[in-house]
Amino acid sequence: MIEQNLKTLEEKSIYILREAKQKFSNVAALWSMGKDSTTMLALARKAFLGKVPFPVIHIDNRIDFPETYAFREYLSKKWNLDLIVAYSEIKPDPIGSACCGRNKPEALKKVMKEYNFDALIVSIRRDEHGIRSKERYMSPRDEKFRWDYKNQPAELWDDYASKATKGHVRIHPLLDWNEIDIWRYIQQEKVPVNPLYFSRNGFRYRSLGCTHCTVPVKSDAKSVKDIVKELKITKTEERSGRSMDKENEYVMQRLRSLGYM
Amino acid sequence: MIVRNITMLGHKDHGKSTLIGSMLMLTNSVTKARIREAKVYSKKLHKSFEPAFILDSFHEERTGGLTIDITRAEIPYRDVAFSFIDVPGHEELIKNMISGASYASTALLLVSAKKDEGIRDQTKRHLYIARMLGIRNLVVAVNKMDTVRYKEARFSEMRDGLLPFINKIGFGEDAVKFVPISAYRGEGIVSKSGNMKWYKGEPLIETLYAMSADESNDSSGPVRVILQGFLDGKKDLIVGKLVRGTLREGENDICTIPQNERIKIKGIIVNGKRVKKAVAGEPVALQLDKKISGEARGSIICGFLYCPIPKSTITARIFLTEMLGKDFSIKFNGIDLPVKSIKVNRYIDTTTGEASSKKAIEPLNAADATISLESKVPVEKFDETRELGRFVLYSRGKFAGIGTVL
Ligand SMILES: Nc1nc2c(ncn2[C@@H]2O[C@H](COP(=O)(O)OP(=O)(O)OP(=O)(O)O)[C@@H](O)[C@H]2O)c(=O)[nH]1
Ligand SMILES: [Mg+2]
Repeated sequence: MIEQNLKTLEEKSIYILREAKQKFSNVAALWSMGKDSTTMLALARKAFLGKVPFPVIHIDNRIDFPETYAFREYLSKKWNLDLIVAYSEIKPDPIGSACCGRNKPEALKKVMKEYNFDALIVSIRRDEHGIRSKERYMSPRDEKFRWDYKNQPAELWDDYASKATKGHVRIHPLLDWNEIDIWRYIQQEKVPVNPLYFSRNGFRYRSLGCTHCTVPVKSDAKSVKDIVKELKITKTEERSGRSMDKENEYVMQRLRSLGYM
Repeated sequence: MIVRNITMLGHKDHGKSTLIGSMLMLTNSVTKARIREAKVYSKKLHKSFEPAFILDSFHEERTGGLTIDITRAEIPYRDVAFSFIDVPGHEELIKNMISGASYASTALLLVSAKKDEGIRDQTKRHLYIARMLGIRNLVVAVNKMDTVRYKEARFSEMRDGLLPFINKIGFGEDAVKFVPISAYRGEGIVSKSGNMKWYKGEPLIETLYAMSADESNDSSGPVRVILQGFLDGKKDLIVGKLVRGTLREGENDICTIPQNERIKIKGIIVNGKRVKKAVAGEPVALQLDKKISGEARGSIICGFLYCPIPKSTITARIFLTEMLGKDFSIKFNGIDLPVKSIKVNRYIDTTTGEASSKKAIEPLNAADATISLESKVPVEKFDETRELGRFVLYSRGKFAGIGTVL
């Protein structure tokens, strides 16, 4: 896995986070308590000198891991986060599976409307899968949360999309980061992480969804340092432990364009 | 690892995505799962394996056999990582091509040697845009050599056909190299091809390594900070990006433009830490000795001695993707500026590089024009300070083109 210059990545993310606060009047972020969105919060603390200046939303389907809930309480206190918990119901989705990824959008739509957010920070990375690698740093979604991926606005230099007339704009400050960069940054900055990422009995979680769709992968990595070492030589996909991504890219794309996460 | 950003260029179907897909496989830079997914999908569409599908992930890209929007793929080579930016070759998707190419310092142009393909409009137009965007390094891969029995004559024909245009639009003679390849069959890319023994140069990837350069910021030039605004909730801290020069704490030979007010830098914060100096490329939070008047966004901070004079009339080269409506604006330095009037001085056909005195502006072509704005802004020549010498054109709220200040 390619290791990039952490300083360059950090600088670009800080710039994007500050642009988001400048351009939009009511910004929120999604926080899943996973490594990426937690790293994003660490970057926001740097960008805004010690505090996270926007609410963080946890879409809670009540079936996350106990460790995840404990981590949520721990970090939101430690970093003084403005936490919004939005509950989502578990019910079968249009293509028939009952799980977090596909049920969460309804809850998100509700909370976005209730608070009138015009921008949402989402900590996706280009290297996660093919569809995500086609994203912009700032990407408008319409009022039904649809992504018009066939006609994305131009985005060049430091000129990012402006306010959506209807709907909201997704902000992707971590788009350039690779999985290994996230862990190297966590190591460098001593960012607190969910303990589920560390190996227990020969297994660890590499990507966290809910208890329904995530399975651990074989690993002996018991510390951040071990994880970085493991990723340097791994040949498997990050999201191999997620049932949802096993389906083909097209299904993923259809879901995203329909407003699913 | 140091990343070198390389944009693909070239007419539709000349093999840009296929080449990146092949390179990813040849260099083992892609997971097996990703290759498998592309293979399964090719089969589903009754096609033989398309390496382009590793990049082209949208359903419509795969069924249509084209790239719709940009993506990136990273390939480590020697001590660097190339970040290849795949762009669409279709004329209607040129706004996406510009988006991708704007991040690159080096270009890899593909031109297909196949019969009836050859040098086409987008082959040249993409080159023209790349030059406008300030790209200096160029490698041309003459692709699909397998379809012309690897004949040197066809390769030479492509090279000789393109060189005059390349030189005409300002790429130096030494800044371009031609390499014959077959993207689909993976020949001439990471190693020499047995089918093209007549070619004496290095394979493509090594040529790219030699022709591309590390990207660096100019920290020795005069100070330029582009201001974003006040830091959230803190009226005494202003944030922005130091795009040029080195800024030191305590410095007082500094002013704001267009306000033209002399100020002193009382404190500098970079990436959350208080520092004595900041260098080009860094996002900064600054504490000044006084409140700056008017809007911070759209203003700059610069060295007192070498500062741009604010202007409301600028001469620029523009490239249009859309017809300009009655009222349009330019987005410059983070703010929208309505355009009062535009006068075309010279029209440039981007497929020939020929200038004419035609006074019209047309989509997909360029012009040198004089633009009058309602207010004065701190512009510089693109060749002087890129970040202050470029802008985006919007017509009725829609992207309509780009401009660079002459
Ligand atoms: N025979 C042969 N076919 C090739 C070669 N390279 C690409 N092709 C084929 O040419 C077609 C177009 O290739 P793409 O890689 O999609 O072309 P592109 O330049 O990315 O096209 P756009 O994305 O539309 O701009 C595909 O069917 C490829 O399989 C080659 O070296 N030899
Ligand atoms: Mg393509």
